Amino acid sequence: MATKLGDWMDDRTGWRTHHATIFLRKIPKINWSYTLGSATLFTMFIQIVTGILLTLYYVPEPQQAYASVSYITNELPFGWLIRGLHHWGASAMVLLVVLHMVRVIIYGAYKYPREFTWITGVALLLLTFAFGFTGYLLPWDQRAYWATVVGTQIGEVTPVVGDTLRAVMLGGEEISGLTLTRFYGAHVWVLPSLLLLLVGIHIFLVIRNGITSVPKRGE
Amino acid sequence: MGDDADGPVDEKVGPLGPSIEDESSDDQGVSRRKLLAGSVGIMGGAIAAGIGVPAVFYVAGPSQEQQVAQEWVRLGSVTSVDSAEPTLMKATIERRAGYLTTTEEFSVFVTTENGTDFVALSNVCTHLGCRVRWVEEQSGFFCPCHNAVFNRDGSVATGPPPRPLDSFETKVEDGQIFIKGV
Repeated sequence: MATKLGDWMDDRTGWRTHHATIFLRKIPKINWSYTLGSATLFTMFIQIVTGILLTLYYVPEPQQAYASVSYITNELPFGWLIRGLHHWGASAMVLLVVLHMVRVIIYGAYKYPREFTWITGVALLLLTFAFGFTGYLLPWDQRAYWATVVGTQIGEVTPVVGDTLRAVMLGGEEISGLTLTRFYGAHVWVLPSLLLLLVGIHIFLVIRNGITSVPKRGE
Repeated sequence: MGDDADGPVDEKVGPLGPSIEDESSDDQGVSRRKLLAGSVGIMGGAIAAGIGVPAVFYVAGPSQEQQVAQEWVRLGSVTSVDSAEPTLMKATIERRAGYLTTTEEFSVFVTTENGTDFVALSNVCTHLGCRVRWVEEQSGFFCPCHNAVFNRDGSVATGPPPRPLDSFETKVEDGQIFIKGV
């Protein structure tokens, strides 16, 4: 029965070929450090699922932001778990994506023909940092507020455009409700759209070009 | 994606991995590939359940909360109830929706025959939710929307309402009237 359904679908989608291309591709003899990319991808899925669940209750508005986060953490059943996974998952994702990059640098995996994979990877690293920065403001507590003050002041020292950059980031001269909504919009719409697009390209290239083997002595 | 063999292939990437067809070793039972695939499936399922089951409780959470903070709501002193005609008494309740608490004003008609037993009736018409008022000449509650009339005990006298006015359980404590179930 299952085979019959599989055949029927395969005839119309060719899914068996795609499945084999993605999951049964041949790889060189490698080590555990090659799992860091997949580990990052996995934490990304955790972040997507828990992030969507958090939006069911979180309100990006100055009067309600902290209260809604507190409600999620302290009153909702398993709210502490969902928020905790998102909180720690964020740190784990930054850590894993950096380790993944370190592995690529050490093994020289950014070289021909994988330069473009590397470029998309760097963009993904920056996107991950942007996720961390925008998400940090959303609980709207003292730590969030002052972290954003510091972060945007770092942006302010950019030559020539610094002042404008900070004002655009904050939606004004000071942190306000406008800052909160634009950070929220960036965190849940802008950045995820870019992330999914780039992850798609990144993984397509990994599959198309294959992965590097561990370099031998003298290479 | 299907033609990855045509892509630029790094010399170092040889076909070193086990080939897909190489599943000849399963005459002693489960092959290594099947065992690994099964383990991955079980772990994936466990992780999905680990988030999915709490997520169900998380999403359903507010539906299980009690929305009205206090069970018994104080209306006022028993002496303020007129035994001749129903007395409209006002009270406020706190309604909770998550972390937000709103106060809501509402009115109840309180009637008594003997000054000790009290009946509390909602002033909301059971037809379409308009507010009813007591009309002495008709000796009934009159709804201005569709000319419905309720008797003093809340039952429907004339008009479209499908059921009598809602009533609340009452109690008297220290000379104060309380109602339940707002």
